[in-house]
Amino acid sequence: MRTIRHTKTLFYYDGPQVFEARDAIGGHYIGVMVEPETGEDRFLIKGTSPESLRLFRSGALDLRSLLLDTVSDDWFLGTAPGGFSESFAITERRDPLDNSGFLPEPGFFLHDQVTADETLREARERNNLVMEVSVEPPEATYEHRIRVSTLAALLNHVQTVVKHAYGVALRDLSLETRRAIDKSNAHLLDVVIPAAPGSFRVFFEASKETDLLGQSELARALERVDQLFEHASDPARALAIVKEHKGHLAGAYLRLLKFLVETRTGIRYSWAEPGFSRPKAGSVSETQARPLVDVLSGVSNLGAEQVSFVGKLEKGDTHGTWRMSSPEGDFSGKVRDGGPSMEGLKLGSTYRFSCLEEIEEVESTGREIRSLYLLEYEPL
Amino acid sequence: MAYREELPAQCPPDTAEEITAEREVYRIVKTDPPTEDDFRSQRAMKPNTAFPDVSECQVRGLSVFSDRRDGEKLLKLPRMRGGLLAPIRLTPGAGRIQQTFKPSHHTWWPFADFDILAHCGKAQP
Repeated sequence: MRTIRHTKTLFYYDGPQVFEARDAIGGHYIGVMVEPETGEDRFLIKGTSPESLRLFRSGALDLRSLLLDTVSDDWFLGTAPGGFSESFAITERRDPLDNSGFLPEPGFFLHDQVTADETLREARERNNLVMEVSVEPPEATYEHRIRVSTLAALLNHVQTVVKHAYGVALRDLSLETRRAIDKSNAHLLDVVIPAAPGSFRVFFEASKETDLLGQSELARALERVDQLFEHASDPARALAIVKEHKGHLAGAYLRLLKFLVETRTGIRYSWAEPGFSRPKAGSVSETQARPLVDVLSGVSNLGAEQVSFVGKLEKGDTHGTWRMSSPEGDFSGKVRDGGPSMEGLKLGSTYRFSCLEEIEEVESTGREIRSLYLLEYEPL
Repeated sequence: MAYREELPAQCPPDTAEEITAEREVYRIVKTDPPTEDDFRSQRAMKPNTAFPDVSECQVRGLSVFSDRRDGEKLLKLPRMRGGLLAPIRLTPGAGRIQQTFKPSHHTWWPFADFDILAHCGKAQP
């Protein structure tokens, strides 16, 4: 008996009506809910090629054709008594599928129109959130070219902005909702098309697959990024928006803008989830970047955030450096001139430290260095 | 405000919006006119089934479409064969709703006091 595992839900209505599955050796299957048997949901399962699946996901092939137009006539029925989080057995049927009564009507396309937009097409074909970023540094003027250091920094800056945008988006949710979300790797992007023709373009895909409902956690982050880019042509309005996001997200955005100025390029991006009818997009041109940098650089501590933690003091000296061990990990930092005196603090005692956390960039790389500066402490 | 079905804590999620303006959604029903049975959640229909891959909040809501064409498309699937597409006029007091499968799929958590059947239009194939 063969077993398969659900991998992606493609169409949901009171349960997954159409889904993808894989077997133990990587074979691709399409599953379609049919009439239940003895009260249990039952599924028609058919092996299919990755290319046919891609066409179906993109809206170029209808479901009936996908089920009939495959390399093998073998088809199966199965139930998933334990739900879709575990593998389930499927039973081969000997009768022809086209006389089975289980086929859908012709004309069930996953999307009403095949899109010409490349970002949306990639999102549909991959059934995941996809983001396209393009830059036009001077070296890309006459050919499809970018300096290694510029590309490396670009990738780091984009990932960093998205990471902090995700953190900001999560803070706006209730504690219960935050607890219910699987946040592991949710902010991460993978490069899936490292260099596409045109200006220098890179396609990212969410590292984590969409949930059962076809939605990506990363969308929360990109909606915040959209807000930052929305008023790129109006520095005063942009300043107001960025101040609303004061902290690490604002700092990461400012570093990205400085990178654009240094490398003499603008940036355009668009992103889409599989179910979008059109992608969302934003841009900052090279000429827009400089006044934005000027106005944002005038805000003190734009990228700093106040943090606090409780732990045991492991090191503290008269030079103002300290180290603390806490359940969340080890922290070390400094005391700035004019900051609190560390005299009288006892090594091994427990304190609550309130600090200003600043993030700086390793020059021209987009990589971050965090620094903690003690603002005040409280013995516990 | 009490819901039509007992819901777990923090359900509907805070990202679901309360229906304060009239709108039309579509749901597959078995008969015209529809019956209460057409508006039972997955949990109500399958009280003992585990849904490990969907939240308990989700299985206690109702799937509806905001775009009629998505409902018509659904009728082509074998599980929906013979079904009818019913428009439902959601008015203030209808409950809370959230887009849960882009572009047009929504999950609706009706309030207990909302008379669903009185707000259904003619169900058609």
